[in-house]
Amino acid sequence: MIQISGLTKRYDAHTTAVDHLDLEVESGEIFALLGPNGAGKSTTIRILTTLSGFEEGKVVVAGHDVDREPDAVRRAIGYVAQETGVDYFLTGRENLTLQGHLYRMKTAQIKQRIEELAQYFELGDSLDKTVAEYSGGMRRKLDIATALIHHPQVLFLDEPTLGLDTQSRRSLWQYIRKINDELGLTILLTTHYLEEADKLANRVGIINQGQIKVVDTPDALKKSLGGDVVSLEFEYEASENESLSWKLSNSDFIKDTTWEGNKLHLYVTNGAQAIPKIMQMATQEGAKIANISFSRPTLDDVFIKYTGSSLSGDNEEGGEQWWEKWAGKGGSNSKWAKKWQQAQAENDGEQPQTWRQWSGQAEDKPQDEENSQQEQQDGAQQDDPQQTWQQWQKDDKPQSPAGDATSEGVKPRQWPASGQQGNWPRDKGWSGNKD
Amino acid sequence: MLSDTWYLFHKYLIISLRMPLWSLFALIQPLIWLFIFGALFKNFAQLPGFPADSYIDYFLPGVLIMTVLFGSSWAGVSLLREISAGTVDKMLVSPASRAAIVLSRVLHAAVQVVVQSFIVLVAAWVMGANTSWNPLHIALAMSIILLLGIAFASLSNGLAIMLQREEPLVVMGNIMTLPLMFFSTAMVPAQFMPGWIHSIAVVNPIEYAVSAVRAILIGETDMGAFGLGFGIMLAFAIATLAWAISAFKALRD
Repeated sequence: MIQISGLTKRYDAHTTAVDHLDLEVESGEIFALLGPNGAGKSTTIRILTTLSGFEEGKVVVAGHDVDREPDAVRRAIGYVAQETGVDYFLTGRENLTLQGHLYRMKTAQIKQRIEELAQYFELGDSLDKTVAEYSGGMRRKLDIATALIHHPQVLFLDEPTLGLDTQSRRSLWQYIRKINDELGLTILLTTHYLEEADKLANRVGIINQGQIKVVDTPDALKKSLGGDVVSLEFEYEASENESLSWKLSNSDFIKDTTWEGNKLHLYVTNGAQAIPKIMQMATQEGAKIANISFSRPTLDDVFIKYTGSSLSGDNEEGGEQWWEKWAGKGGSNSKWAKKWQQAQAENDGEQPQTWRQWSGQAEDKPQDEENSQQEQQDGAQQDDPQQTWQQWQKDDKPQSPAGDATSEGVKPRQWPASGQQGNWPRDKGWSGNKD
Repeated sequence: MLSDTWYLFHKYLIISLRMPLWSLFALIQPLIWLFIFGALFKNFAQLPGFPADSYIDYFLPGVLIMTVLFGSSWAGVSLLREISAGTVDKMLVSPASRAAIVLSRVLHAAVQVVVQSFIVLVAAWVMGANTSWNPLHIALAMSIILLLGIAFASLSNGLAIMLQREEPLVVMGNIMTLPLMFFSTAMVPAQFMPGWIHSIAVVNPIEYAVSAVRAILIGETDMGAFGLGFGIMLAFAIATLAWAISAFKALRD
């Protein structure tokens, strides 16, 4: 349904937004482009939807070349942008009608389609209220409905749940799934929420610095890491711990290692057995470990492996805002333009922490009860690593698989979680939770 | 393209009818100028050689054109708002004609200033201006106002796309409107102007709009002066509109 080969998009000589990107999206699948802000997700979507031009490569959507037949592509696709594309001062019905007319539909056709869509998205009485009176979730539903008015074959969703509360987010996921199941629409969405990619997508493409790093189903991606992930957080930067790092990566019980700032992620077959060995080596090398944790691999671990940085430290509101797109061209002295450039520069580096400093706050909010419960326990244990290490040794006993740990009321396996780390639910049972 | 223009124009019309106060807001400034200038320059009319019976008669065409400038020079601000709100992208991903997107906005702004000018015209008449109420004369005057509205709304939309930010656009709006008003015979007859201002006025499109409206509404009807103004306004409107549309088409980043 979508074929991209060698796609390259440069904003100027120094900024390459998309760098020789290749991607194929199958008909009827939900494909998620997962990546941090500034990775090139939105740019890719803007190119696919004919909103942006590009320098090199070939892009075919629904059998039409976006460069040569943009109008044919436009008729075949629906697009829901990050910003609400619906007009606040018009009613839902007026928005839908206008959109129908822009797609050259006949008035009777439009009327019928509005009834169908209103029923489908349960818009009900709101249809004749102005959009200004809608809730955020409702607005997003209307936005999707307007994108579907002309029976498109492909639907593009750019950060569809950005800025929504947990409840609206989950409800929207159901709709997206329903559209895909019942209408057979191919859906390409971008997100920087791991959970969204994990739960919604048939396949996930991890994108960073304008390149697709890996494409596979969420399960296969996680399985490819195998076993557990043990994360060591050092008090000092990586260079201080080179010998330990070298020793660890040459140990036969460790399959792979990735540095992320002052954190070292180790991929092992069995975390519980590996930790004592790792600690022993660390003691021998005199490395100062501030924190240690282990968990079943999540998409975040997959992400770290392929990009060297964590997604979960990302800022909730940090999607590519309108000013990011426009500030680059407009007055470069503006406050927004500077922030934008700064954020861009930082996204190029490997330090998610700097993004947090920039945004002034770090914490992602989508948390369930089980997760916050876990947090509290973690918080209590976290104060003194040495002491908690001893505690841990006391109740050292085999644990049931992570997915069931919390739901069965067993002590969470994640231990002791690093508070500074992004608080994406690491151990939330990705295996059993896919509804 | 025409049907797209109509549907989009219809949308903007609904929006402004839903917020009539906002449209009336733009009237405050011209009405204040009408009142203050009318009082301030009242005695001008007694100067030998003054070309009208009273100052308000003379100033009426000027204030109508002012209404157009103040009303349409901000049209680009709402384009920037629409871009940031995402509604422009929504139009751009549809097969809707790109020209229609600009044309509908510009037409809407122009129709809005026609309505505003008419209200100012009635207000000036209430304040004692001697204007022609011949429907043909009113219609012809309004055609000048419509064309000038199209031209300035196009300029403002085009500049919005070039500048991409609101603040410089507002500054540009001010730079465009006020000096152009003073470099014309909107307020002061040509014979009272210093020579250098008069020579600028000769190449100022606003000057021709003011003269054309004056030729048709005040005193003896002068179809020659009107025809010249109409021709210049038509060319001005077409040129600026074409520029705005091409700027918009080049918008694809």
